[in-house]
Amino acid sequence: MTVWPLKFRERTDGQLLFTDDAGGFFVGSHRFLERLAKNGLSPADQLFLRNNGHAFEQVGDPDWLSFAYRWSRRQSKQQDLSYLILVPTLRCNLACDYCQVSRAPESARGFDWSGETLNAVLAFIGKMKGPEIKIEFQGGEPLLRVDLLEQVRSFTRCKFPSSQFVVCTNLQRLGEREWAFLDQADTCVSTSLDGDSATHTRQRTHDHLTTDTFFRNLSEAVRRLGPGKVSALPTLDVERPPDFNDLVDNFERHGIQSIYLRPINHQGFARRRRSEPNSIARWNQLHSDFIDFLIERNYRTDRYVEEYYFGQCLRRFLRSGADDHVDLRNPNFFASDYIVVDHDGQLYPTDEARMLSRIGRIDLSIGTVADGVDRTKVLLLNSASINNFDADCIHCVYQPFCGTDVVDDLSRDGRVDLARSETWFCKRHISLFDKVVEIISRRDEAARRSVAKWARIPSWGDHMIPVHA
Amino acid sequence: MAEPYVVRLRSFEGMSEESHDTGALDAALESADAEAAEFTGATGKLRLFGVDPSEVNGDVLFVVPWRGTAHRIIRANSRHNTLLVTEQCDQLCVMCSQPPKKQHIDMFPFFETAVLVSPKNSTIGISGGEPTLFKSELFDFLARAMSTRPDIDFHVLTNAQHFERDDLAFLRRLDLTRILWGVPVYSSDTDVHDRIVAKPGAYDQVRRSLSLLCEAGAKIELRTVLMKPNARGLLDLAKFVTTALPFVDSWAIMQLENIGFARQNWDALFFDSSAGFDVVGKALDFAISRGIHTTLYNFPLCTVPTDYRAFAPSTISDWKRAYVADCADCSLRNECGGFFEWHPKEHGYERFGVA
Ligand code: SF4
Ligand code: SF4
Repeated sequence: MTVWPLKFRERTDGQLLFTDDAGGFFVGSHRFLERLAKNGLSPADQLFLRNNGHAFEQVGDPDWLSFAYRWSRRQSKQQDLSYLILVPTLRCNLACDYCQVSRAPESARGFDWSGETLNAVLAFIGKMKGPEIKIEFQGGEPLLRVDLLEQVRSFTRCKFPSSQFVVCTNLQRLGEREWAFLDQADTCVSTSLDGDSATHTRQRTHDHLTTDTFFRNLSEAVRRLGPGKVSALPTLDVERPPDFNDLVDNFERHGIQSIYLRPINHQGFARRRRSEPNSIARWNQLHSDFIDFLIERNYRTDRYVEEYYFGQCLRRFLRSGADDHVDLRNPNFFASDYIVVDHDGQLYPTDEARMLSRIGRIDLSIGTVADGVDRTKVLLLNSASINNFDADCIHCVYQPFCGTDVVDDLSRDGRVDLARSETWFCKRHISLFDKVVEIISRRDEAARRSVAKWARIPSWGDHMIPVHA
Repeated sequence: MAEPYVVRLRSFEGMSEESHDTGALDAALESADAEAAEFTGATGKLRLFGVDPSEVNGDVLFVVPWRGTAHRIIRANSRHNTLLVTEQCDQLCVMCSQPPKKQHIDMFPFFETAVLVSPKNSTIGISGGEPTLFKSELFDFLARAMSTRPDIDFHVLTNAQHFERDDLAFLRRLDLTRILWGVPVYSSDTDVHDRIVAKPGAYDQVRRSLSLLCEAGAKIELRTVLMKPNARGLLDLAKFVTTALPFVDSWAIMQLENIGFARQNWDALFFDSSAGFDVVGKALDFAISRGIHTTLYNFPLCTVPTDYRAFAPSTISDWKRAYVADCADCSLRNECGGFFEWHPKEHGYERFGVA
């Protein structure tokens, strides 16, 4: 019998978490580890390893094949381009402290698509495969150019009738034309809501009246479009986090049960103003506290709110195929299923890459919308976008569940060759997966209920985690 | 003596929307009275007793003139029709709904004709007995039927005891996205599985075959009938499915149908999942959490705890479906598949009925 390589990590309870490269896992003891290391596996060990999918008899036998299948399902595939992030203008009518997009003032000139760029965008869409595509309008504040949005949408609707559109808007100033644009079956809204009103004012609007307008428009959007069609993201300042209860209340009030907590972004203007060596540890603690808070609150209210990214990590830990989040897949091919078109027609692999290039740190553009994608640049980025051979990741229990984000590495450290374990990305994910492993082993009813809801299964219990003494 | 033939009934003028030139296979309604209906076509005259002509329009019959019989093999108003390839089988499952017989009549040529006139965009089930006992005929049939009717998908129920490595080349030539292979696995315990199917070595063989199907890129539906002999092992089976058979498209956990051997051995086999839902629930939790698309078939909804009902779709076709007296004012009735018509009215579920 051959045992596939196993990696392990000590848990807070002294037991060990074992994983293999295909994402199989179990909890085991130090004594088992010793037997494994010293080639002294007992018949019971062998039976367990065999039944839990970590061993095979002969290359090509059913056990071998199922492992190979599970391994391959853990690798993400190159996909057809089906998602465009469009930035028709960089101008904005707000000036948030940490604007993530390096905005331009509302009255500035030269920050909108030119006529040629619009035509090139339409031609670019025309060449996509379909049959369904998704278009996200970013900014600046994209609704400042609702005329461009209208043209893109009607062109896309003709070509790919069941496409979807997302408008990322600050919901600050909406006239009849803007509402008419948003209030359509194929169109959704994504906005920012920084928790409570005080925090939102401090970080974004700088005055209460503007904040009130925002909250009014948010309620109106939920009323007109329906709750499932409005999503909102909070951006958190680790130094001054909002009150968790107010934050969750505010989201629930608007029918939003999935909250994606994001730390203030390091790119754009934010980077120059705040960047602090210990902030990752603080962020991890804040996030972990938030998960505990949610577990307790969900149990109390019997309504189940999730932290979006944590839910992704949990589901990815349990099963393959949960590749819907772009930071959490491996290999993470750039310009494969989605691409960004900036206000000047430049193409970028991600929105972060666009912002990073904008502040002049590095040029991550990968072509122009008129001339198409520059494959050599994409290949260069892709070569660093895989964790399977990374010197640190190969030793990490979380490798099969984790992803890569070379743009984040570049943005924070200015290089892609830093030891992975030193990166913000790695520290964040180690902590996230540690938290996953912690809560799936908790035995209190509160934790079990939330884990079940977040994992999208009816119930959770001891039977869900393979254990071997 | 006239040979057996396949014919499609036409009760109304101008109802044909088939793109194929099938005129030669049609028989049109000539006359009808309370007793019988008469159809005429290229194959001659056909008198059918006890049918309402308006309900058989488009149905496909297999007619054996010298015996004076006509069997309906395709229902025009059904999206899922099943063809019975043979009554022979090399297993003898304790709950078999269609206990095997010795003799075999080759029906493939007739099936090929029947497929030509089957409803558009439907699924044709291939069942038995064990269809792969006649593997080369089956493969030829599939290849031809799939090319003459590109709109039709196939669902083959097989015990997967007869696939060999040599079949890979052939399988890969078929459009495997259009065939779903339904394969029963009862337990992850070799002995329990082999005992249920009454064939030593069956478990090992089914695993080898499933691996082959995976290599071919086939779509697989795993089917597990829940019974007393395998109920306790259901969580272990779920673990086995997630680790050893992760490539299946779906896993159906099925409540027992009161027919065939199952009826004869009902008390020894029927597992009351309303009282013992724990074993089912845990298996479902485990399989779903690991990404296996798992569903409960033939479970009356009220016997399933609320959190699990989303996984128990209504699976009993309406012409086979019945409800019991307690169902009369049940609020779940619209989503619930009820019982097979032939299920005993003393249904055997301890926890039953809602609202
Ligand atoms: S980035 Fe860090 S957490 Fe992720 S696989 Fe690599 S070492 Fe593990
Ligand atoms: S009472 Fe009848 S209709 Fe209602 S859930 Fe039970 S079986 Fe279904």
